[in-house]
Amino acid sequence: MTGEKSAQNKKDRADGISGSAPTGRGLLCAPEQRICRLCPGLCPFRCRVPKNIVSESKKTMSLVADRLNRISPSQTIVISTRARALKAEGRNVISLSAGEPDFNTPDHIAQAAVKAIAAGQTRYTDVAGTPELRKAVAERFRLDSGLDYTPEEVIVSTGGKQIIYNAMMATLNPGDEAIIPAPCWVSYPDIVTLAEGVPVVVPCKRENGFRLQADELEAAITPRTKWVFLNSPCNPTGVAYSAEDLRPLCDVLLRHPHVWIFTDDIYAKLVYDGFRPATFVEVEPRLRSRTVTMNGVSKAYAMTGWRIGFSGAPVELTKAMNKLQGQSTSNTCSIAQAAAVEALTGPQDFIQTMVDTYQGRRDMVVSMINQAKGMECDVPQGAFYVFPCIEKCLGKTSPVGKLLKTDEDFVTALLEEEGVAAVHGSAFMYPGYMRISYATDTQSLRDACTRIQNFCEGLL
Amino acid sequence: MSRSFAQRLNGLPAPATIEMARRARALKAEGRPVISLALGEPDFATPPAVVEAAHQAALAGQTKYPPVDGTPALKVAIARKFTRENGLDYTAEQIMVSNGGKQVIFNAFMATLNAGDEVVVPTPYWVSYPLIARMFGATPVFAPCREEDGFRLRADVLAQALTPRTRWVVLNFPNNPTGAICPAEDLATIASVLRDYPDVWILSDEIYEHLVFGGARSASIAAVAPDLKDRTLTLNGVSKAYAMTGWRVGFAGGPADLIAAMRGVQGNATSGVCSIAQAAAAAALDGPPDLVQTMVATYSRRRTNVVQALRAVPGLTCAMPEGAFYAYPGVAACLGRTTAAGRLLETDHDFAAALLDEEFVATVPGSAFGQSPYLRLSCATSDEILAEACQRIARFAGGLV
Repeated sequence: MTGEKSAQNKKDRADGISGSAPTGRGLLCAPEQRICRLCPGLCPFRCRVPKNIVSESKKTMSLVADRLNRISPSQTIVISTRARALKAEGRNVISLSAGEPDFNTPDHIAQAAVKAIAAGQTRYTDVAGTPELRKAVAERFRLDSGLDYTPEEVIVSTGGKQIIYNAMMATLNPGDEAIIPAPCWVSYPDIVTLAEGVPVVVPCKRENGFRLQADELEAAITPRTKWVFLNSPCNPTGVAYSAEDLRPLCDVLLRHPHVWIFTDDIYAKLVYDGFRPATFVEVEPRLRSRTVTMNGVSKAYAMTGWRIGFSGAPVELTKAMNKLQGQSTSNTCSIAQAAAVEALTGPQDFIQTMVDTYQGRRDMVVSMINQAKGMECDVPQGAFYVFPCIEKCLGKTSPVGKLLKTDEDFVTALLEEEGVAAVHGSAFMYPGYMRISYATDTQSLRDACTRIQNFCEGLL
Repeated sequence: MSRSFAQRLNGLPAPATIEMARRARALKAEGRPVISLALGEPDFATPPAVVEAAHQAALAGQTKYPPVDGTPALKVAIARKFTRENGLDYTAEQIMVSNGGKQVIFNAFMATLNAGDEVVVPTPYWVSYPLIARMFGATPVFAPCREEDGFRLRADVLAQALTPRTRWVVLNFPNNPTGAICPAEDLATIASVLRDYPDVWILSDEIYEHLVFGGARSASIAAVAPDLKDRTLTLNGVSKAYAMTGWRVGFAGGPADLIAAMRGVQGNATSGVCSIAQAAAAAALDGPPDLVQTMVATYSRRRTNVVQALRAVPGLTCAMPEGAFYAYPGVAACLGRTTAAGRLLETDHDFAAALLDEEFVATVPGSAFGQSPYLRLSCATSDEILAEACQRIARFAGGLV
């Protein structure tokens, strides 16, 4: 494909997507404008190519490689840095921006790590993970979803993120496309971009429960499509897919055998009201030969810091990911692997306690947010986030007189004026919304929601 | 053909060290008395104080996401280490923690290399340098370190390898696989060559720095030539000095803009390193140097014994390594000959394969390190096993016709 043709395709795609943006304000830039609110960096079409981050460097050669110039630092960092600064000034700041459980790792898991250290499990392991852990992962896939992965089809990485990174780096050639439903965790488009692929962001409408629809998926697939991502339950919406939700997507994918599927199920244990989340291979075993089923211990077992993610995937892809990991990091920490074995094979009752707690908080937060003037919040099935719409609050003026033009203005003013830190929807490629994490204690949540109500009440 | 793999994986062979270890395991499983000298991992246990620190961290709930570039406590310990042991002052934003030293290299190369760039790698080399460079479209350019120079890097050889396309120069001393060091006076000469190439980055991989013998002293190029510090990435870790290979904690000090770019890569690849392992690494760096001293005394003794034994074998040559825990004997005089079992040895790979199949000693051929014909023997095993291995090698070489 020539450069010109590829550029034209990108323009066509940008047109199509901005036309279907749910906010009606244009999620992505129109090509003639050459700029959008997600530029630079977050916009997958790179309307405005970001400047070299060290353009003032004395060095005559550019410091960073071209691939790195295409991604930009996380948008959430501005908010979290400001929140820390306010806290340091002595302000009472409640953070609703955490992406990790507020529980500690259960004691029996920590004890397993201690035992592994004492037993001298401090040497290199296989790049793909210890045989014990890979077996435990395969067994967990079987117990939870009836998936029949063998240990050879399992790889253990430094967090679920490295699974994504391995898979993209192992498969994407320049110009290959990856379809990413939005709202999304921005690491998906960033990793795809870093691997020299092209993220194709498909906004999912709130009236469809933020779920990707079969016709939207069909329309996004091209001959260059290599991957389709799905994250269920989803960060940032908390929305999960049932078997019935996945069925029509499976039917589309069966018609496009050149497309690989990446399903990020990291929040699968955190579902409420008896919801039963489903995963692609379980719903449609014929997709097994081209699906990566990703999971990990971070969210379900409150083990984010241990950095253990894993996947089940066909053996040839697992081998390719293993090859890449062998050159980038080798194995992940041997002690953390031993802890993960205990997490996956030991008592599981801890999870239910955690789920019950989260469900109570979710119900409280949704109800309180819906009482905030101008905010609308749906009840999600899983994860520990809610994603209220704040469009009716935009265009107004905050109590201290700040004009709130965008969702970023809104969360910035909320932080400055009420001391509540949340993340704006643009950071998930979905402007006009806000992500609230309820992975924090109930009293703080109640206080924070009251402050949000006050803030909204004071908007003019 | 969309369901194929990425081109960047082409030419990424399974590392030869791992292949040899796999074959050794298979023979062992058949009940053969295999001695493996193939892997580069200390045979000591992680020190008790380090273990205790990890234990406390796990129980104290240090189990949340760590920052991408390392916990503040570990970064402070690393800064102290660089000041104390290397005479290098780095601030917090000039330090980064990764999942092993390997990820430091991967981050640095991915963050900086474009297709067509060149990376100068002295041979023999640790296989990952050229493989990672190739993955990002760069071309490794080799600068041979010869046995007659004690495998030290000569400034004139380095100068010949540099071109306008050179992006990085890799310095790995004490060296894997030869154990050669690069003393301060050699580094000063190398620095004067590099001054003519202001766009070239320097990767100084000093992971074996503490394992030096007989009064030899390794030095950091950023300390020897402070004017190069703003384009030098000084790599180190706890794997070798504190027997913590499995924990996976490597780190680097370097200019803030390069570290920021590397953080950008790691933030998308893995995020932070295991929080428990970071607590353990901080304790290791701040702890007493007892284990290092014990290891150095032990490795030094084994090195002398192994080199003496190998030098007594007809057909083998062996330089005396000044550091690390490897011996790197030359097998040139054995090539063209036939083993007791009738195999013709044309290359060092043939030699290593036959030695494994006939005498059950696993080593890695020099070809895996870009310099033939040699073998790498790891001395990270007991005196008795090393003595037995040397006897078998002598019998093997003695049986060649």
